[in-house]
Amino acid sequence: MTCDKYENALLLTAASNGELDAKLARHLERCSTCRMTLRSERELFSRIDSALRAQVNGDLRPGFLTQLRLQLSKKLTARPGSERLWHVAGAALALVLIAMFYPLVDARQASVQGNLQTPTIKVPQSGGVKQSRRASEDIGVRSRHHSKRPAQNAVPQEPEVLVPPDEQKAFAQFVACVAKRDAVAQAFVTPVATKTVDRNTELPQVSSVDIADLQWGRARQKEWIDQTGSSE
Amino acid sequence: MQEFTWPGRTAETELAFDLETAALRREFEQRLEECGTLAFRVARGVLRNAADAEDVAQEAILRSYRRFERLRDPSRFRAWLVRISFRLALDHGRSARRREQRETAWATDVPKPTAEDIAASNEFGRRLEEAMAALSEKSRLVLLLTSMDGHSLEEVAELLQLPVGTVKSRLHSARKQLAEKLR
Repeated sequence: MTCDKYENALLLTAASNGELDAKLARHLERCSTCRMTLRSERELFSRIDSALRAQVNGDLRPGFLTQLRLQLSKKLTARPGSERLWHVAGAALALVLIAMFYPLVDARQASVQGNLQTPTIKVPQSGGVKQSRRASEDIGVRSRHHSKRPAQNAVPQEPEVLVPPDEQKAFAQFVACVAKRDAVAQAFVTPVATKTVDRNTELPQVSSVDIADLQWGRARQKEWIDQTGSSE
Repeated sequence: MQEFTWPGRTAETELAFDLETAALRREFEQRLEECGTLAFRVARGVLRNAADAEDVAQEAILRSYRRFERLRDPSRFRAWLVRISFRLALDHGRSARRREQRETAWATDVPKPTAEDIAASNEFGRRLEEAMAALSEKSRLVLLLTSMDGHSLEEVAELLQLPVGTVKSRLHSARKQLAEKLR
């Protein structure tokens, strides 16, 4: 048997301070190296334990408990209501601060709502035309960011667009431009079958067609050939 | 200045409150000696410094008094005290500011080194400290508590509110790790 087999058992025995296994004991009787290993491992663990014990089991300084009782008494004799008083004072201060700043917040909200409501242009929405819808959504981004409306109202049937006063003229031009395009687009999209137009689909009745030779002169013919030849 | 009283609280309720507080304090003081030592030892095991350990133990005990009403069961109280002392000691050890204060205090008023201090200051002590610092907090706490005099594995398991088997395995693993680092 080799000593490698007993290595783990040796370390385990040394670490646990346990009794030797019979097999291991028999091996140790024969193997001096393993005996040395076990002895050194036991010494190591013993040193660790004694160092830890020395560290942990230090006695308290005699005056420590007296000092602790004194500290405890100080804490206990402190006015019991003082902590609660601080809580009440804190709550009162918080209320005062809210009362001070609430009008400012309210005024700010009112001004924001006013901005959202007054300069509004209603864009007529034509159904089924993607181009105009996308254009109105692009413009509507700004109004959606400012207004606190639910998501389903973000793309309304008739979107309200917030336009600053100095941009209203340009916006009106833009809307007109989009409306023109709508008309063109609608013409493309609208199915022809829905419209009932009386058309004469029959070929026109022509009684007779006379096909005559070209009555060009020789000089004119030559001129025409020269022109087509030079153009090529 | 008149003492603050909540509206609706009568003199009888105040008296009952005072009596209860007094009873609580008496009960706490009865446990103070045992618990003070326990807190101090846990803190000293982490900090390796008696003065710092005293500070931590004091803080832990004052905190435990605030919770004493809810922790009247002795085993729960001891378990809580061990945990809070260990946690406070770790925090204390990590605090650079406190360390700086300790160093300046040490420089101005050099205390007489005890036998434990001398032992801890040698090479083996330094290496052991490093190896302990590398352990997990759970293993470290188990190792410290089992190293305390009069703490059997069962008592440590009760203190930590863990099964004895868990304590055993943690202890074994911690000792093995220490030995690997110190070998």
